[in-house]
Amino acid sequence: MAARTAGGGGGGVVEWISTAARLGLAVVWAWAGLAKISDPAVAAQAVRAYRILPEGLVKPVGYGLPFLELALALLLLIGLGVRIAAVVSVLLLLAFVAGIASAWARGISIDCGCFGGGGAVDKSQTQYGQEILRDCGFLLLAGWLVARPRSRFSVDGWLAA
Amino acid sequence: MSEKNRSGKRTARERMLEERAAQDAQHAKKKKLLVIGAVVVVLAVAAGIGIAVQSSRSSSDTPSAAPAGAIGPKNLVIPDGPANAPATLTVYEDPRCPACGQFEREFAPTVDQLQDQGKLYGNYHIVSFIDRHDGGKGSKNGANALACAQDAGYFRAYHDVLYKNQPDETVDAWKDKSKLIDLAKQVPGLDSPTFESCVNSNKFGSWVSAVEQDFDKSGYTSTPTVLLNGKPIYPKNGNDEITPDNLVKWVDEANQGKKPGTTGSGSASPAPTSTAAESDPALQPSGGGS
Repeated sequence: MAARTAGGGGGGVVEWISTAARLGLAVVWAWAGLAKISDPAVAAQAVRAYRILPEGLVKPVGYGLPFLELALALLLLIGLGVRIAAVVSVLLLLAFVAGIASAWARGISIDCGCFGGGGAVDKSQTQYGQEILRDCGFLLLAGWLVARPRSRFSVDGWLAA
Repeated sequence: MSEKNRSGKRTARERMLEERAAQDAQHAKKKKLLVIGAVVVVLAVAAGIGIAVQSSRSSSDTPSAAPAGAIGPKNLVIPDGPANAPATLTVYEDPRCPACGQFEREFAPTVDQLQDQGKLYGNYHIVSFIDRHDGGKGSKNGANALACAQDAGYFRAYHDVLYKNQPDETVDAWKDKSKLIDLAKQVPGLDSPTFESCVNSNKFGSWVSAVEQDFDKSGYTSTPTVLLNGKPIYPKNGNDEITPDNLVKWVDEANQGKKPGTTGSGSASPAPTSTAAESDPALQPSGGGS
């Protein structure tokens, strides 16, 4: 308790950075989730195109993932369980990066389907480098929140008070 | 004495504070675990709801109705030519795909001829994935209209007319179903109230979606995908480019020593196709008809 009040000056800036990271990551997940919801068949095909998961898991992942992303967005937006939400975000993003890298390494031509779309594309239209770089940017946000989950305007803060 | 007393008091107070701190810590820990538990539950429930909602929203991979004469498991394939021909040409194509249009304009006369000579059995998978890539409805509407034409027995002729009048990939002209009905007027006998209501009501919508889902799972990723007896021959068969002459050569090689199937235009497909095929040369001066 004492540490919290004493660290008020320095911690303030960190808390504001965390608030920005939290809201930024919330927007990313909301955008990613919403873009994948409209057509379940497209979402399933985006997953299938990676040729990693067995057919039996393609639909559950394609159908469930966008809602999981939206739930993460909601938790981050209200600031409930920020650290655990950030840990899940890191794990998801690492899985995405691994998936994209694997597709790249195997020489198949797909769109990552990160923000809707997905599936096979022409070889000239693959953007694996950018897609991985973008996900790494999101990883920085999520990683920051794992380390510094305390932020302004959060349910976590309200619960701790 | 008083000192002893004071120190005794202090320890009691300290002990109380310590206990309180321990309680607080335990309380905080409990709260933390509760929050973690809540988050995990929220995420799991969200994913579960997603799977349930999207499953109920997604169309079945088994069509509720298929056009007459469609073949294969679940009747997703439109046949053209004699079923007893020794060679099978499997074609995956999207009504909006420009490369499919090019393929059809270049090869349809040859393919029709091979079929009518009893050498080749055409198997058409009418997929509709361009609508996903470019947005729009043209692929799905076009595929449904082709199913309607098959249902009426005019698949080959209408298929040729569609690809001869194919709009640019980026122009979704066939989102307007009346354009598809207008094109049907170029096929004598096809346009009828039944055909028009079939196109307008998207009668074979579930079939179109099932065909696309089947293509999704096929592992083929582009159109046209053209297989001769299951082996890809487009754009190349081994080192040889596909050309009308090469296609004839490959089919003849594959059929060596085998008995040709029934000859005559569209003999094995629904009967009316023959009428359409006969009127083909009038529609397509370049067509090397029977």
